[in-house]
Amino acid sequence: MSLPLLGVRVIEMGQLLAVPYLCKLLADMGAEIIRFESCTRLDPHRNSVFYGNAPGPTFWNRGANFYDQNRNKLGITIDLSDAEGRDLFRSLIAVSDVFCENFTPRVMHNFLMEYEDLAKIRPDIIMLSSTGYGYHGPWANYGAVGPTVEASSGLMHISSYQEAPPVLAEIPYTDFVGAEHGLVAVMAALHYRAKTGIGQFIDLSQQASQAALVPEVIMDYLANGRDAASGGSNDHPSMAPHGVFPCRAESDPAKEGEIDRWIAIAVQTDKEWDALIQVMNEPQWSRDPRFHNGLARWHNRGELNHLIGEWTIHQDAIPLMQRLQDAGVAAGVPLTNRDLLWDRHLRGREFFRLIEHPKSSGIPPLPYPGLPWKLSDSSPLPSRAAATLGEHNTYVFAEMLGYSENHIKDLESQGVIGWNPVDARVPKPVERSTLLEQRRIATYDEDFEARIADELRSFH
Amino acid sequence: MPEQALSHVNILDLTHHISGSYATKLLANLGAQVIKVERPGLGDPSRALGPFVGDDPHPEKSLPFLYLNTGKRGVTINLTNELGRSLLQPLVLWADIVVVNFSPETSLNLGVDYDSLKVINPDAIVVSITNFGLDGPYRNYKAWDLVEYAFGGLMYIFGTHDREPVAHALYQAQYRAGTVAAGAAQIALYGKKVTNSGDTENQSEGRLVDISIMEVIASSLRDTVSQYTYQGIVRRRGPLFGMGMGRTMATSDGYIIPVLGLGPDWEAFADFLDIPELKEEKFVTQENRIRNAQELDQILSARFQQFTKMQLFHDAHAWRFHFGVVLTPREVAENEQLAFRGYFVDIDHPVAGTLTYPGASAIFSETPWRIGSPAPTLGQHNKEIFCEMLGYSTSDLVKLRQMGAI
Repeated sequence: MSLPLLGVRVIEMGQLLAVPYLCKLLADMGAEIIRFESCTRLDPHRNSVFYGNAPGPTFWNRGANFYDQNRNKLGITIDLSDAEGRDLFRSLIAVSDVFCENFTPRVMHNFLMEYEDLAKIRPDIIMLSSTGYGYHGPWANYGAVGPTVEASSGLMHISSYQEAPPVLAEIPYTDFVGAEHGLVAVMAALHYRAKTGIGQFIDLSQQASQAALVPEVIMDYLANGRDAASGGSNDHPSMAPHGVFPCRAESDPAKEGEIDRWIAIAVQTDKEWDALIQVMNEPQWSRDPRFHNGLARWHNRGELNHLIGEWTIHQDAIPLMQRLQDAGVAAGVPLTNRDLLWDRHLRGREFFRLIEHPKSSGIPPLPYPGLPWKLSDSSPLPSRAAATLGEHNTYVFAEMLGYSENHIKDLESQGVIGWNPVDARVPKPVERSTLLEQRRIATYDEDFEARIADELRSFH
Repeated sequence: MPEQALSHVNILDLTHHISGSYATKLLANLGAQVIKVERPGLGDPSRALGPFVGDDPHPEKSLPFLYLNTGKRGVTINLTNELGRSLLQPLVLWADIVVVNFSPETSLNLGVDYDSLKVINPDAIVVSITNFGLDGPYRNYKAWDLVEYAFGGLMYIFGTHDREPVAHALYQAQYRAGTVAAGAAQIALYGKKVTNSGDTENQSEGRLVDISIMEVIASSLRDTVSQYTYQGIVRRRGPLFGMGMGRTMATSDGYIIPVLGLGPDWEAFADFLDIPELKEEKFVTQENRIRNAQELDQILSARFQQFTKMQLFHDAHAWRFHFGVVLTPREVAENEQLAFRGYFVDIDHPVAGTLTYPGASAIFSETPWRIGSPAPTLGQHNKEIFCEMLGYSTSDLVKLRQMGAI
């Protein structure tokens, strides 16, 4: 069986994550993604986390984020501020099925690239616009990034430590939420078009997507007039114990860094409580009337958490997690990025995807996180590295638009298309030792390359 | 009424709680015909989840259940009962997609694992959502959202450096898995109905979509894993100071997130806040701002507290800075932008009454999102499905109940 989306052609014009991640999911499933970039405004993802922390002379082809988000996509560079560039874009729309973008509506309007314009060129085009707050409305042209959208959804207000301001997730969490809802929407539109031949415009709001994932608190206000208090997101409305407890840290003698270890435990039933107590060797306090049933445990959870923490601090996290899981208790150790790479379960699931990078990048083959689903009876998933800047210009313009070699040369000399960034400022990365000093990282391995190469020898 | 995108798709919903129910809700909102199967008596555990309408812990008044199950018809079937399981068979045959979220062991015991379903309907797409997937050393491990965040790699990097790591509140991992499932299910269906429809070589067209909540989290960490593979860095949650820009900061009445955005630069920002000191050398570059972080935070903080959060938010956007504003659930419910989109929808439920529900993530120009019917009361459509659709007589229906099958 062929990959499910073979034959679907998508044009991607997206910065950062919201649209690129959606298109990454489509690309892994066989869709042909033509990704637009600009030589004059380099995608910020080409400008961070360089291999070996060394940007090198062609830094724009050495960035982790770029390879992570854009595997299996064709890459072209077109200057859209040039009228001829926009004509090129329109010619590509004419031969494409789907168009995904996350520019502000004002930009699309100025470029005459709104749905009404594009439907004239390709009547059954499916266009997805992914914006922070929506394509129309009082906030329509308000720029947004993941954290700011998360803030506007209600999720950030309820996620924090006790008596503390809201905390930010360290990743643009809501970008993923938006992309995943975008996938639901694009696929529905594709199904409808397959049945009827009719395309459409999809106005996806990341704020609306994220708010849809916290209906409990929004409806609690609408139905009961209660506005959720901020604070204590490791806590639970009815489960106790439910929290994150300290374990013995793993020190790194080579540097001053250390891996702090914790264990997350969530107990719902009496049976699980009994199992937890057993693993803890039935401490005296477990027979205290304050903890004699679920309701009592919940009301006294502050004290309960304290007592549990006093015990877990002397335990090694991962063996403790295994003992608890074997006893039927929901427990997990917050895993580091390094832990994930060596995790035996993810290895058994064949979760990581091995990608070979272009020789010119100087990056060895590396494992990357895979898809959030496994499809049975699938053809092997594609694993082509992300395109170097403008890598597929010739292929796309010649193959899909029938342009001659000379035409393409003209476009290049006019600066409409290109292969190199214009005015690229070489970024100055921060030293790892500085990051360690500032406590922004736990530690780093000097020999990471050898460790990974070793690990890959046993790769599937 | 205009047609909906998925009105030709039949979905058998064997799910409970959040992840599976959210997946099928998303598809129901887009027009899919969804039949939800609950166990007799207690029904879906999310009927006990709350919060409840008027704090009345009634199984028909649980707000999450009401939200998650709009647009679905509901029946009760006892899957531990052989007669009950036989009732399921014609429904499995009717379905294009079957969604389950029992643990691998429970699926097997109830006869709704993929191999069993495949025998009944080899053409069905079966979507399974479990904590850790259907195989692998952790497959029988237990988890709640807190534990999923830990296993998925999101917790270790979330929070401040001097305290325990945190997770988002409530049930994000489950909602995320549900969202992914709704997308993946449609991809599998598209592959079957459109891309491979001419494929005569493969006997059956069915497939299994195996979703692990741990992998849903682990696949969405952006460059966290790559920081190790590219630079050997073990990433960790960092200190709060020095991150004034891009972090929550207090105003006179709540929090904003100051973000420059992609257009205007630092000088413009100094002008916007009317703080000439910000143009000094020590603040001009990103590197210097990090080095002088604490001082910068103090200056910004003092200024921000002279304004309300909404005032600052809107003024910043007038200057094209991409500020964020932390809204409480009440403020979300009253948000002008969401209201403009018609986001909040009222529907009437026979027991819970008329309630307002958050709505669509996307507005479609041709095939509207619709909230559809209210969530079914327990067994509400037993007669409609078993008698009208499957042909059982009314007296058979009574016997099925008496025999513990429904």
